[in-house]
Amino acid sequence: MSEALINKKNRENISKKILNIFRKKGFNFADLDIVIDTDLLTQRSGEAFKKYALNFKDKSGKEISLRPDLTIATAIQYIQDKKKGIKKISYFGSAFRLDKKGDLKVFDQIGCEIINSKSSPEFLILSTVLLVFKKIKKTKIILNDLALFQNLISSLDLPKRWKLRLIRHSSRIDYFDELLRRLDTNYDPDSEQIKIDYDRMVKLKKMDLKQIIGGRTAEDIIERFEKKNKDTRNNFKRKQSVKIIKDFLKLKSPLNDSISKIKMFAKKNNLQIKDLNKSLVKLNNINKKFGSKYIITFDAQFGRETQYYTGIAFSIFKQKKELARGGEYNNLIKTLGGKQTSAFGAAINLNQYI
Amino acid sequence: MSRLKLGLPSKGRLKDESIKFFSSKNLNIKNLNSRNYFFSFQDNHNFNGIFLHAREIIERLNDGTLDLGISGLDLLMELPDEYQNNIKIHKKLSFGDADLVVAVPNDWLDVQNMADLEEVSFEFKDKYNRRMRVATKYPKLTEDFFLSKGVTEFKIVGSLGATETYPFTGSSELITDITSTGATLKENNLRIILDGEILKSSACLMVSKKCENKIIDIF
Repeated sequence: MSEALINKKNRENISKKILNIFRKKGFNFADLDIVIDTDLLTQRSGEAFKKYALNFKDKSGKEISLRPDLTIATAIQYIQDKKKGIKKISYFGSAFRLDKKGDLKVFDQIGCEIINSKSSPEFLILSTVLLVFKKIKKTKIILNDLALFQNLISSLDLPKRWKLRLIRHSSRIDYFDELLRRLDTNYDPDSEQIKIDYDRMVKLKKMDLKQIIGGRTAEDIIERFEKKNKDTRNNFKRKQSVKIIKDFLKLKSPLNDSISKIKMFAKKNNLQIKDLNKSLVKLNNINKKFGSKYIITFDAQFGRETQYYTGIAFSIFKQKKELARGGEYNNLIKTLGGKQTSAFGAAINLNQYI
Repeated sequence: MSRLKLGLPSKGRLKDESIKFFSSKNLNIKNLNSRNYFFSFQDNHNFNGIFLHAREIIERLNDGTLDLGISGLDLLMELPDEYQNNIKIHKKLSFGDADLVVAVPNDWLDVQNMADLEEVSFEFKDKYNRRMRVATKYPKLTEDFFLSKGVTEFKIVGSLGATETYPFTGSSELITDITSTGATLKENNLRIILDGEILKSSACLMVSKKCENKIIDIF
């Protein structure tokens, strides 16, 4: 038998075993679509998405993409099924992405997702995936809570529009750093220009406020203009806020220690972080359940680059090999056209595991 | 040495300026008023010339059927990276200057820079449940520039001409377009935003990398 055939059989056997573990934990196998409507994806993550997906046009000119990961395909299927209630799905298949050079990378993923669960789905997902790796020694977990980071930004003394901007772009690491740099520079409009624009605004106010100008109403333009000019960054603690963000992102330590470190961080910087206790309880419970068996590290940077993670995100490692990755994605289904639905899932990277 | 295959723009100011450029190097085209697309130079037998569309010149340099030619930097940069690997800019020329810029309706008082546009694009999506549309003849350059400035919530609308009209006919919300003086944009009630310069373009003498070594440095 050729090596390729042996590898294929080996892969099939391992995937069968994993799917069997998932089935015993109550996950039902779903055969997911391999192509996705590109418009759905760009509606969710903007044009940037196209850079790393393999896109085609069908005969009618409609753009379609090969699925960049199976979580998105799962969410789309959930919306299309129109079923209510909790759904526990498992899947197996390839995901297709382009790297920075534009070369196609194919990943075989096998995963499980819980959609619309009201209880703590992170326990079931983590324990299910860890069960697959139970024979592997020295498995390590890296973990973060992205909701905590977003709530930290919201608690800072910054203009509301700047907080929104930082939250929106927190997954685009380079651009986020650029935004932090901008917060330290004089990038707000200069006062001379504002004076000229105020004169023009008087004219604009005399118009019918519902009049559309380039797709926006005169009212929208005036409202944002006034809000922006009232809300300059100079009135806020911008330098201090940048420092707090940077310091927070440096937090990396065993989960056990991190819980007290995060508490101290909030106290030291006098931050009223929304849902801080909720986040700490969640982290503490994970630590209680898995901390005695596994080395768990809290890393405030981890998972930021995955745009759809909204809460707990984790990765399972064997030395430097990333075997699996997962997290909470409570907004994904809504942004793909469904209702606001909680969801948590993880995928095993079969290429790495084998 | 075999003759070098030279492509020049077949019409407009780019053609006139290209002919002037070669004349300034003592390379005068024979029978200039002829309708023949093929040409040669008086007293110089090193070139086989052909007049082509500026965009076609880049295609032929890319596949190596032309050795050198004059075309716009904007046209080259809009094409996939592979073209820039196959074509070398030998010299930027002093004509055909034009900037590719981002322009918004003049009455968008609240939009002065790309950071404003980034914010407005999110607000627009939240309010109208669709992405802001950008009309352009340069989708690749526009997309790359917008993404580099953090503007992700937009949709490209391809334009073949009169792009300046798009925001006022409901076909797009803003545009990117090539401009020399900005006068046409201004006359059409559009304003270039402060950091909205995507590319400074000009005519360039381009050389196919396949025959880079054959080019005598006479320019």
